[in-house]
Amino acid sequence: MNSELMTTIEAVQHQTSGEAIRDILYRAISSYGLDRFIISGLPDRGQDVRPFVLLSGWPDEWYQRYTRLGYVHLDPVARHCFTTTLPFDWSEAGYDPTSDLPAKRVMDEAAEFGMHDGFCIPVHMEGGMQGVVSLVGSTAEVDEHSRLELHMLALYAHGRLRYLNMPGSEQPRRRAITLRESEVLKWAASGKTAGEIAVITGLSERTVNQHCVNAQTKLGTKNRTHTVVEAIRHRLITL
Amino acid sequence: MKVHLLGAHNRARYGDLLEENYKLRHRIFVDLQGWEAIRRPDQRDVDAFDGPNAAHILVTEDGELVGGSRFNCHDGPTLLQTVFPGLVTEPFPAPPALGADWTRFYVRPDRREGRRRAPESAALFCAMMEYALSQGYAFITFVSTIYMVELGVSMGWRIAPLGPPAKIDGKPTVAASIEVSEDALDSVRRVTGIGQAVLPFGGTDLRTGRSVAFGGF
Repeated sequence: MNSELMTTIEAVQHQTSGEAIRDILYRAISSYGLDRFIISGLPDRGQDVRPFVLLSGWPDEWYQRYTRLGYVHLDPVARHCFTTTLPFDWSEAGYDPTSDLPAKRVMDEAAEFGMHDGFCIPVHMEGGMQGVVSLVGSTAEVDEHSRLELHMLALYAHGRLRYLNMPGSEQPRRRAITLRESEVLKWAASGKTAGEIAVITGLSERTVNQHCVNAQTKLGTKNRTHTVVEAIRHRLITL
Repeated sequence: MKVHLLGAHNRARYGDLLEENYKLRHRIFVDLQGWEAIRRPDQRDVDAFDGPNAAHILVTEDGELVGGSRFNCHDGPTLLQTVFPGLVTEPFPAPPALGADWTRFYVRPDRREGRRRAPESAALFCAMMEYALSQGYAFITFVSTIYMVELGVSMGWRIAPLGPPAKIDGKPTVAASIEVSEDALDSVRRVTGIGQAVLPFGGTDLRTGRSVAFGGF
């Protein structure tokens, strides 16, 4: 599949700050011809949107105006999110410009900031919570396949930001190999063969060998001895 | 609420619960979600992947079944490789024997109503990561609408697509693989507020029947 998208998705999941994710997203969506975005939860009527915003990739001035004046409750695009589970173009978020003047005002003012069109991805969460990833730019050239890719990318970004926003989500130090892998390596370090390790741990010999290969891949080592040495050196196993 | 792990070593004892599981799955996946392809006249959803090698994590409340999931090791036939091979274009992140295919995830719909996160799904997510670690798995695969990706990533899990998303029955669908790690267990516990092991003894090695401890050393 699209290797650039795979790289972006992996990068998003390794970031620990919104700023870093913003840079990645700007770069990623620009390859689809899009240039701005917002990622936010949608508040109930009358509530301030600001505590719901996960990440803004809007021009600052527009962001200030939109959030300060409660535009989220007038915006036909935001409103349309509650009526569909599928992504849609802003132009599909219908409103009557002759009677719905507040909606018209939001869309007209957005256009003054160069935001005429966009692609909006509603995010329905457990318990009826509603979120949105709205991408800004002309969608005329974005084909069906790209829309699916953007949909998936948007969900990755939304999920990661939601995780980072949760209290106590600071990353603990990463464990390089699993406990089972370190158990197998420990026995290997004391001279046991794969067959002997299989008997001791109750695993099959094939699984023992696969744990070793897996640890080898993760540590970037060349053979079993090399893996054991590196695991000891990095204190991943103690003897 | 109780979480049960059913495998080859104990499924004889769990015959009634397993039967209830097949009936509830038919009600949820066929009657409510409309998976007509698996409709059966006896109203039981049971297929080739429910054999003796399957593991089931089931959640009960006051003895009543309220949620479940099924796991098949990739060293044998799996739903992913048999039914959805077209969704997979990327190699697995590790040898097949170190991966499990996760299928038939459900929480009884009346348990979800009006709740931010059903405690049943929180327990299932914690249990599946405990289970995967106890079995020595390195990854878990699944096929789902892409919204599952958002949910998994929001719990701090690292999820890699196994192929490009595709529309199936009008729904954006993807095959993906979840990285199994101590970090993934830590983060799902933090996010769900479940501070301790939900599987009895932290997990049982289904190949040997021995209990496996981890996570608190």
